[in-house]
Amino acid sequence: MAASAQGDLAYRANFAISLLHSLLNLGAGVAGVLALPWSQVSAINGWDRRGLLALLGVYLVVSALRGLGLGPSLDALAGMDGEVWSGRLDFTLLRPVNTQFLASFRQWRLFTLTDLALGLGVIGAALAQPGEALTAGRLLAFVVALAAGMAILYAALLACAALTFWSPGFMFTWLFDGIFQMARYPVGIYPGWLRLALTWIVPVGLMTTVPAQALTGDLAPGLLIASTGLAFGLVLAASVFFRVALRQYASASS
Amino acid sequence: MTPLGTLNHRGGWALVKSTWTSWLQYRSFFFLLAFGWMLPPLIYLFVWSAAAGAGQVGGLNRGQFVGYYLILILVNQITYAQTNWTVGDVIRSGGLNSWLLRPMPPLYNVLSSELAGKVVYLAFVVPVAAALAVLLRPEVHPAPGGVPLAILATVLAWALRFFWGLWIALLAFWATRADALLAVQDALVFLLAGVVAPVPLLPAALRAVAAYLPFRYMVGFPVEIVTGQLHPAEIATGFALQVAWLAAALILARRVWRAGLRRYSAIGG
Repeated sequence: MAASAQGDLAYRANFAISLLHSLLNLGAGVAGVLALPWSQVSAINGWDRRGLLALLGVYLVVSALRGLGLGPSLDALAGMDGEVWSGRLDFTLLRPVNTQFLASFRQWRLFTLTDLALGLGVIGAALAQPGEALTAGRLLAFVVALAAGMAILYAALLACAALTFWSPGFMFTWLFDGIFQMARYPVGIYPGWLRLALTWIVPVGLMTTVPAQALTGDLAPGLLIASTGLAFGLVLAASVFFRVALRQYASASS
Repeated sequence: MTPLGTLNHRGGWALVKSTWTSWLQYRSFFFLLAFGWMLPPLIYLFVWSAAAGAGQVGGLNRGQFVGYYLILILVNQITYAQTNWTVGDVIRSGGLNSWLLRPMPPLYNVLSSELAGKVVYLAFVVPVAAALAVLLRPEVHPAPGGVPLAILATVLAWALRFFWGLWIALLAFWATRADALLAVQDALVFLLAGVVAPVPLLPAALRAVAAYLPFRYMVGFPVEIVTGQLHPAEIATGFALQVAWLAAALILARRVWRAGLRRYSAIGG
C-alpha cells in the first residue's frame, strides 16, 4: 500500500488534474439533479431533489471505495496486456497469501480518497436540505445497506475477473462499468423492463438505490434484510466461481 | 464416406470456436468502447423522459426528449475523436518516427484511423439506436431546412472536436500524462455539451458559460438544430461561434505541433 502511494505521489501535476476531473464530474452530477424541473414537480417517480442528491452522493462514495483498491487490482487481470494474458499473475499466485484476497487488494489508488470526501460531502449537503432528520436507526440501516451494496459490487467484479480466465482479452469490467453508471439514478426512474434487469440481473440498484433509501427513510426493512442476505450469497458464489476459474489459468509458459 | 470426406466435427467446431473468439477479442473491444460512450446520454434519456412524464419540460415532451437523446447518441459517436487518445501513446513510444518518415503529413495517419474507427463504432451504435427508437417511440419535428443545417453542423462539430482534442493530445511532447487533460475535456463535454441536460435547460449560470465555450459546438448544437429548439438567429450565432472555435483549434494544433516537433527532434537527435 505504501508502494502504491509513492507511485502516485510521483505525479504531482497529475493530482491537480485528477482533482479537476473529480470536481467536474461532481458538477455534472449535481447539475443533472438541479436542472430537473423542480419548479413544476416536487418528485419524479417518487424521488425528490433531496433523495436524488443523496443517491448521487452514495454513487460517488461507492465508486470511490471501488476505485480505492478493488477496481485497479481486479482490472489489472483483464485485457490484451493483462496479467492473465501475459502470465504475470504468476507473481501473485506464488505469494503465501490467499490468492483471491491478494488479487482483489494488491493495488491502491489513494487519489480516490478525494472522491470519497466529495461523495460524503454531497450526502451531507443532501441531508442538510429541508426534510426528515437523520436518526441513529437510519444511519445504522444506511451503513448496513452500504456494506451489503459494496459486497454485491465486490461479487460482481470478482465474477468479471473470473470470466477473464476463459477470455483474457475481453474487458468484462468495462461492460459492468457501463451498466454501473446507471446507478447514478434510482432504479425507479427507468422504464419497467430496465428496472427489473437492474434489480435482479445486474443488481446495481442494490448497490446505490437501497443505501440511499435507507438514508432518506424510504427503505422497507424487508428489502434491507433481503439485500444483506443476497450480498452474503453472491460473495460466496463469486468466490467459488473465482476458484474454479483459477484452474483454467495456464501460467506464462504455455 | 460423405461427399465432403469424413466429417471432422471436433476439428470443425474448434475452428469455428477459435475464429469466433478471435473475432470477439478485437471487434468486441471496440463495441465495448462504443457501449461505454453511449450509456451516459442513454441514462439522461431515461431521466428526462421520466421528468417530462405526461407533460412538458422546457418545451419538450417525453417523445421529444427521446428524439433529442437518440440523435445526440449518434452525433456524439460521429464527433468523438477517439484517435486523440492514441496520439499521445505514439509520441511517447517513439512510433511517431515511422510516421515522420513517410512521404505524407502525419495527419493522414491519424485521419485514416479516425475514419476506420468511426465505421466500426457506428456499426454498433446505429443498430442499437434504431432498436431503441422502435422501443421508445421518439418524436422529432425538424424545422424546414433543419436537417441539412444539422448535417453541416455535425461535420464542423467533428472537425472542432478532433482538432481541439489534437492540440491537447500533442501536449504529450512535453508532459507524459497529457491524457488526463483529454479526460477533463470529456468531463466538460458531458457537463456543457448537452449530455447532462439539453443546453437550454441547464441552470442559468451554466447555460451562459456553455453558450460561449467550444464544447456545446462539439455535440449539442447540431442536435438542437434538428430538434427545432433554436431560432434562425440563434442558429446563425451558433455557426459563427462554431467556425471561430474551429479556427482557433486549427491554429493551436498547428502551433503546438510545430513547437513539439522541434523539441522531439531535439531529444531524438
